[in-house]
Amino acid sequence: MTTKRLSWIFWIALLLFLLLYPHIFGAYYTNVIVIFGIFSLFALSVNLLLGFTGLLSFGHAMFFGVGAYGVALALTHIEGCPLLVALLIGIGSSFIFALIISPILVRASGTAFAMLTLAFCMLMYTLSLKLRNITQGEDGIGGFPIPDLNILGIVSFEMTDPVNFYYFATAVLLISMWGLWFITKTPFGMVIISIRDNAMRVDYMGYKVVNSKALVLLVSASFAGVAGSVYALFQNLVSSDGVFSIMTSFAPLIMTVIGGVGSFFGPIVGSGVMMLLEEVVTRYTERFSLVSGIVLVLVVMFVPMGLTGVVKIAREKWVLRRAANE
Amino acid sequence: MNNILETKNLFHDFSGLQVLSNVNLEVADGERHAIIGPNGAGKTTLFNAITGTYTPSSGNIIFRGRDITSARPYEITRAGMGRSFQITSTFHRLTVFQNIRMGILSKKGIRYNLFRRVDKMLDITRETDEVLERINLTEYRDTPAELLSYGKHRALEISMAMATDPELVMLDEPTAGISKDETEYTVSLIRKLTENKTMVIIEHDMDVVFSLADRITVLHHGEILASGSPDEIKNNQEVKDAYLGEMEEE
Repeated sequence: MTTKRLSWIFWIALLLFLLLYPHIFGAYYTNVIVIFGIFSLFALSVNLLLGFTGLLSFGHAMFFGVGAYGVALALTHIEGCPLLVALLIGIGSSFIFALIISPILVRASGTAFAMLTLAFCMLMYTLSLKLRNITQGEDGIGGFPIPDLNILGIVSFEMTDPVNFYYFATAVLLISMWGLWFITKTPFGMVIISIRDNAMRVDYMGYKVVNSKALVLLVSASFAGVAGSVYALFQNLVSSDGVFSIMTSFAPLIMTVIGGVGSFFGPIVGSGVMMLLEEVVTRYTERFSLVSGIVLVLVVMFVPMGLTGVVKIAREKWVLRRAANE
Repeated sequence: MNNILETKNLFHDFSGLQVLSNVNLEVADGERHAIIGPNGAGKTTLFNAITGTYTPSSGNIIFRGRDITSARPYEITRAGMGRSFQITSTFHRLTVFQNIRMGILSKKGIRYNLFRRVDKMLDITRETDEVLERINLTEYRDTPAELLSYGKHRALEISMAMATDPELVMLDEPTAGISKDETEYTVSLIRKLTENKTMVIIEHDMDVVFSLADRITVLHHGEILASGSPDEIKNNQEVKDAYLGEMEEE
């Protein structure tokens, strides 16, 4: 019972902290939190495939990017498109895109899956550069209007205000993170974990593996789409290099590995660590990729279970020692 | 008695190597049927062909009156067949409880539920715990499968074949590699779990075969050498020459 109470206290404290945050730290650090949230959700969606289903995606940026372009195009071309509708269009675009390519992806696993996702992502990158009349090529789509958040026509919040946007983005991202967490606790969550451990046996237990893989791909793509959509609204600029580049695919993977593949919250920890690192490193050098690469190598070599894995082991040791002392 | 499983003129080859030739296996409803034969006789290949690992080169497989020759493993499982593996094949990072629960969920047809927490499904939890009680693994309920002793892991392997509550259970060398004491325990477990079910078992340990089986089929070089009651098989000269004889010499 006490652990339950402790976790309640933790969540309420976190919520209070997030509520008060923009009033304490000011606009710059408010934006940092939004970016942190976007990449945390993106990394969590990658980890749903990597850590839970055992599928390595080298091209997850495609789902992120399709969501971002979906929002940007909706807001550019649909006059008076409400905020939540634009958001749904973004998520829906990622979902439909995943639905189209999933019949090919679900039949692959291991290296073939990684290469296929990479190939599709590169395809989207090239398309976004070449379809100039839709995507405006290298320039990207920018300066589209950001509509106010209108709740049932009663209250309206101006989204161009950073603090208002912070509350909106944080709410959307937190609800999505909770949704992802919830899915890992459902019967379907057990099926994907079982696929990671032993796909052949899942088949023999009466589950159709390709269907389950297709569904987890759709779920993961949709949540990557949420992250991409919020990103588009936040940056007010979506470009090929910003959303479809290799680094956009690798950043959440690096965050996940550093934070811990085996844990649900690992990617959030990894995302936080990487952002702090970037914050510090860029004060001294522009070569952040070099530093993040070295950190990744060190983590893989010395703590392959990631930072959350280290904490878990330390806690187990502590519990054991306490039990021995008693 | 009706046959629950039949193979008709089953052939299978691996790129030219004939492994099964003209196998006509008949398994009657409710019997415990053992398949024996020397290494390389095609026993596991026969199992794999029946349970859908691969489609046989030619011939038909009829299960409960339905042609399942080219059906996939998940379809065959849903039709009411369960199987265990010679090489232990569990969900190694899941706990014993979670391993068995996968079978219970499958049996209930809960496969794509994204909207309810599985640990809040109390009927599923209760049913899984009942199975754990029956297989004497309650003590190891929350132990990850990979940390079980070999014998316990084998017991879990066999129980997973049974967790979907199949009509026909196919066990591929359930006692492979386990000690004499544990073999006795495993045999009594199999006896308990397959009550009122049909079972097909591949086994090398003749004590196990003769204590469990109602009927024995001997496979030799991919063909059925003989099929009959344990006594008939024991006294069959051909079988003695091909298989049982050489066992006694060892």
